[in-house]
Amino acid sequence: MSGFETIIFDKRDGVGYITLNRPHKLNAYNMQMRDDLYDVLGAVKDDDEVRVVIFRGAGEKAFCAGADLSEFLTAPSPIVARQVRWERDIWGRLLGVPQPLIAALHGFVFGSGIEIALFCDIRIAAEDARFGLPETTLGIIPAAGGTQTLPRTIGRGRALEMLLTGQQMTAADAFQSGLVNRVVPRETLMVVAEETARKIASYDQAAVRACKEAVVRGLDMSLASGLKLESQLSAHVSAARRKHHKVKSLIKKERST
Amino acid sequence: MSAQNATINFETQGTVAYITLNRPDAGNAINAEMAASLSDACDYINRHNEIRVALLQALGESFCLGSEAAQPPYAVSQLIAAVTKPVVAAIQGGALGQGLELALACDIRLAADNARFGLPQVAEGSMPYDGGTQRLPRLVGRGKALEMVLTGETIDAAEAKRIGLVFTVLPVSSLASEARKLVDKISRMAPWSLQFAKEAINKGMDLTLDQGIRLEADLYFLMHTTRDRTEGITAFLQKRPPVFEGK
Repeated sequence: MSGFETIIFDKRDGVGYITLNRPHKLNAYNMQMRDDLYDVLGAVKDDDEVRVVIFRGAGEKAFCAGADLSEFLTAPSPIVARQVRWERDIWGRLLGVPQPLIAALHGFVFGSGIEIALFCDIRIAAEDARFGLPETTLGIIPAAGGTQTLPRTIGRGRALEMLLTGQQMTAADAFQSGLVNRVVPRETLMVVAEETARKIASYDQAAVRACKEAVVRGLDMSLASGLKLESQLSAHVSAARRKHHKVKSLIKKERST
Repeated sequence: MSAQNATINFETQGTVAYITLNRPDAGNAINAEMAASLSDACDYINRHNEIRVALLQALGESFCLGSEAAQPPYAVSQLIAAVTKPVVAAIQGGALGQGLELALACDIRLAADNARFGLPQVAEGSMPYDGGTQRLPRLVGRGKALEMVLTGETIDAAEAKRIGLVFTVLPVSSLASEARKLVDKISRMAPWSLQFAKEAINKGMDLTLDQGIRLEADLYFLMHTTRDRTEGITAFLQKRPPVFEGK
């Protein structure tokens, strides 16, 4: 799959790579990128060859420096903008991808950039990464889930402080606060992201997806409901595996007779 | 606007409101009069659009050592939590019992290096009653909250920072000036952005992620109707600092 204007998509060995590709604009998120991501995620979620996805940014300076504000003043009325938001629900689609998503982050990770990263399951940052949600300094608020995903990732207290003061974070701060899982030297960022992706891709995919679902959906539930969800998913994964082994041994038996 | 009474000083300067606990000889313990004054101050802040941010601070050695003994307890943290604008707490010395519960209701906590935090009520045969059992685990996680509530032990500023109860620890001598700098900075940001962001986080954390995202989007599109949004984006594109009017 290719031919996108603002992103590059390729896949190798079970790993899908989505590269934000507007390096001359610090990979700023614009309407075309929204449409490209919407299409690629729609294809990826149904593509069993893609077992795990890595998000990354092209160029030296940024994963994504945020939304392209030059489009903001020409935005349609709030009513139409809201309609479009739910017609092309890119963030809902990102949230609905069953495969694990890994964000490989370098340079500026601001606004929509950090919000994309927050929808990913594992975040790996280069030492030069800088994080921020500058919306409250611009007379707006985050609109790609940031006010919801950030406190769920780093806690309400720190999220409030970051948003209410417009404070930025270094890679070290991001690691300390749990915003990113690991910080690595810039030159090894993709190596580490790929190692992590390959490890996940090597596991039983039903189990991997069930783990993701149990954690993500379970956090929205009471503990009792979350435990029930976990036991249902785990029973489903075990049953699938038993069936798989049974079929395999039947085939073996048939071949040997 | 400025009001002085026995228990708190309430003062506004431009767009910033200062609430100063003023019972230093009693460890700023919360009594009926202080609770009533806090209620008035919070009302004032909510009702006056020109106020963009509030600082809660305390005179004397300690921020607040809890509730006045031998008085029925007066719940106050819900008043602070219901302020729609950002509230910053500047904490020196002890923030114990209801004093910690008060600090937990604020959005941002700055601590002096001599600050101590704890919910000692269990040791007195009582329990936290002003939001502590709900706000503490939501802030520092269930494990640490249970430990603090069940042992009644206090922690120092470094430990508070490590577990995420506070994020900034300052020398006690610079706490007041740094707190003032921070609220000044916040007062220059877009007021409706701050209020909506606060609402999106605080209300959204009680919802499922999906519902929270919907709340955020609705607030975001409401922002489209403000002049400050146009100003913020125009200023950014023109590479100049924005001037927000709260309109």
